[in-house]
Amino acid sequence: MARFNSFRFNAWYSRCGALALVLLGLVCAHPAQALPIFARQTGLACLACHTVYPELTHFGRMFKLNGYQLDNGKDITMITDEGKQILALPAVPNLGLFVMLGDVQLAKALPDSNLGGYTSLSNGGVELPQQLSLLYGGKIAPHFGAFAQVTYDFSVDTFNIDNSDFRFADAIVLPNKQPFTYGVSLNNNPTVEDPWNTTPAFGFPYVPPEVAVPYPGPIINAGLAYEVAGPVGYILWNEQFYAAFGAYRHAQNGSNSPGNAILGEGGPVDSATSTAVEGWNPYWRVAYEYDFDRYTAEVGTYGSYFKIYPGGGTALAGPTNNFTDIAEDFQFQFIGENNSATWKGTYVKENQALNATGPSGLGVSNATDWLSYLSTDFTYWYKRRYGFTTGYLSTKGSTDKLLYDASGPYTSPNNPLLPTGVVNSANGNPTTDAWISELMYAPWLNLKIVLQYTHYSKFLGASSNYDGVGRNASDNDTTYLLLWFAM
Amino acid sequence: MKSTKIKMTVLAAAASVVMSWLSAPVASAQDAAAAPPAVAPADRDWAEYKAITTCRWCHGPEGNSISPIYPALAGQKAWYILEQLQAFKAQTRRDPFAMGIMWGMAAQLTETQMIALADYYSKQKPPFASKPAPFQGAMIAREAQQGKSIYNEGIAATGVPPCSACHQADAGGNDQFPRLAGQHALYTIKQLIALHNGTREQAVMNGVAAPLQRSDMMAVAYYLESLR
Repeated sequence: MARFNSFRFNAWYSRCGALALVLLGLVCAHPAQALPIFARQTGLACLACHTVYPELTHFGRMFKLNGYQLDNGKDITMITDEGKQILALPAVPNLGLFVMLGDVQLAKALPDSNLGGYTSLSNGGVELPQQLSLLYGGKIAPHFGAFAQVTYDFSVDTFNIDNSDFRFADAIVLPNKQPFTYGVSLNNNPTVEDPWNTTPAFGFPYVPPEVAVPYPGPIINAGLAYEVAGPVGYILWNEQFYAAFGAYRHAQNGSNSPGNAILGEGGPVDSATSTAVEGWNPYWRVAYEYDFDRYTAEVGTYGSYFKIYPGGGTALAGPTNNFTDIAEDFQFQFIGENNSATWKGTYVKENQALNATGPSGLGVSNATDWLSYLSTDFTYWYKRRYGFTTGYLSTKGSTDKLLYDASGPYTSPNNPLLPTGVVNSANGNPTTDAWISELMYAPWLNLKIVLQYTHYSKFLGASSNYDGVGRNASDNDTTYLLLWFAM
Repeated sequence: MKSTKIKMTVLAAAASVVMSWLSAPVASAQDAAAAPPAVAPADRDWAEYKAITTCRWCHGPEGNSISPIYPALAGQKAWYILEQLQAFKAQTRRDPFAMGIMWGMAAQLTETQMIALADYYSKQKPPFASKPAPFQGAMIAREAQQGKSIYNEGIAATGVPPCSACHQADAGGNDQFPRLAGQHALYTIKQLIALHNGTREQAVMNGVAAPLQRSDMMAVAYYLESLR
């Protein structure tokens, strides 16, 4: 999810021949949400857990934190003589399908990677499907449930593991009759365990177009999605106070280790990998939700500390680049019979201690850099059928000439005269401001049509001629039509 | 022609009210009341656990729901909660949220568990009269005033009987009619609409709600919400 604004820092400066792929591939969205399989298991209509998917209601958050346990169908069960239940397997497997069909139009086409002109056919292509996900969601055993997803992505023409969350959870009743839930989520993307839609894994924008031009973002913003995995323990007190702590280490799925000399794509985690993390890397989250009348208000904070090897042919040993992300978030939600409205936002500040690369010529100018990311959006739905969203994304950061103005993907060794551009910042600054508007129509609770328009008032540090070869920020504006259904 | 039709409707409604008072649903309620099912300690513990760790997501702490789109259950009559849970499980109560949420929630409940849950909620402290939002205060007070008159005297012109005749003057309910006092107005309105248009089938109340205007429903609902 939301990966187009989360371009990996490492990938950013180690971009090379794979950049064409990066442009169209690594920025891929990885949605993972509303599941008719949950509806099938629980017997509840989508509206119990969602306003309109993927946004969760209070009930949906409780369902997730309690381990996807509600059950309405027949179970295959086994109870011992002592009365202990040792099996509660849903008789019908909780499998589902999630399909997104997209059509994207960039205001100005990307340059042809061989010819250098703005003639690429990648503009305006219909993607059928943009993504197709196979899912398992729901109860596996008492107190143990999962939400796991394998996604086919049109732009990279392959199946990949997607957001996955295997979760143990249980609840006790405190002496004062308040509930206390505790659990552990084993997952592959920091913030996947979180139940609010303010954090990156399931945050806004829910569905970015595939052909959007990427720009840098903090590492917690899906920058290590599916490249790391780890356990996150959590507690929820009185349906109000939530705290989670976990640690991630490298997951050997290698989708970000292109061109491994021995095994090719998906190879071992080695120096070709640009996102190999050293050891265990902590992640934390604290949030408080207050419910009154038909409103819920949430404030929270989350963050992580990741030590990442520079990759790009450098041995996976010695100093690492260290990323400290600290974020705040809020959500204000109204859910009535006919109207629902949500205003939410998050602000991430990332400090980068570039111990491994530093000003050593490995593609960065500074010993330390910083990035900040602000996202806020307002969504309204009428009768869960007609809706609109308006949102604003703002990325800022320190100027780093080498990092953001490295040779772009269109500089071919065979033809050094081709222009750089599109993902290069002439002034070496990552500042990017995006305005997103969406019109939505959901004729059924499990199908919606989204028309999204993204306008960039600033891209990689400037409004006009940001890449030094004539491309303006607004040339990257995208119009995106999406048909999204789940079954 | 039109007035004849209205008269017919009123007559039919009145007749159906009288008929249904005398017929099956009441009798079954009386049975339930006559022999309140005993709840074993283990089932009582189970119900308390379930109520606090699951039902509470919508129905709130001790059955005092926070969001008015979900009903408060605290202090509701046990026989009535049991009857509703049975109807959800049997999928015979068909108003939208019953269908979208409670059908699933009740699907795996056993009779014993339903009895225990009903018992648990009936023993919780009934909801306090909720305070209307400040900007709605005056409007709601006006509505409630009108609602009080409908509740106690009915609407003679359209043949709506006084609600108090069955639900008691304090709207506390009894062995045959459910408690209404303190219920969220939005929930009561929603149910009156469902009873009015028949998506929720209940012989007595379908008849009573048939001639109700939306404004009558709001008035009564706000009055009930103001009661403790």
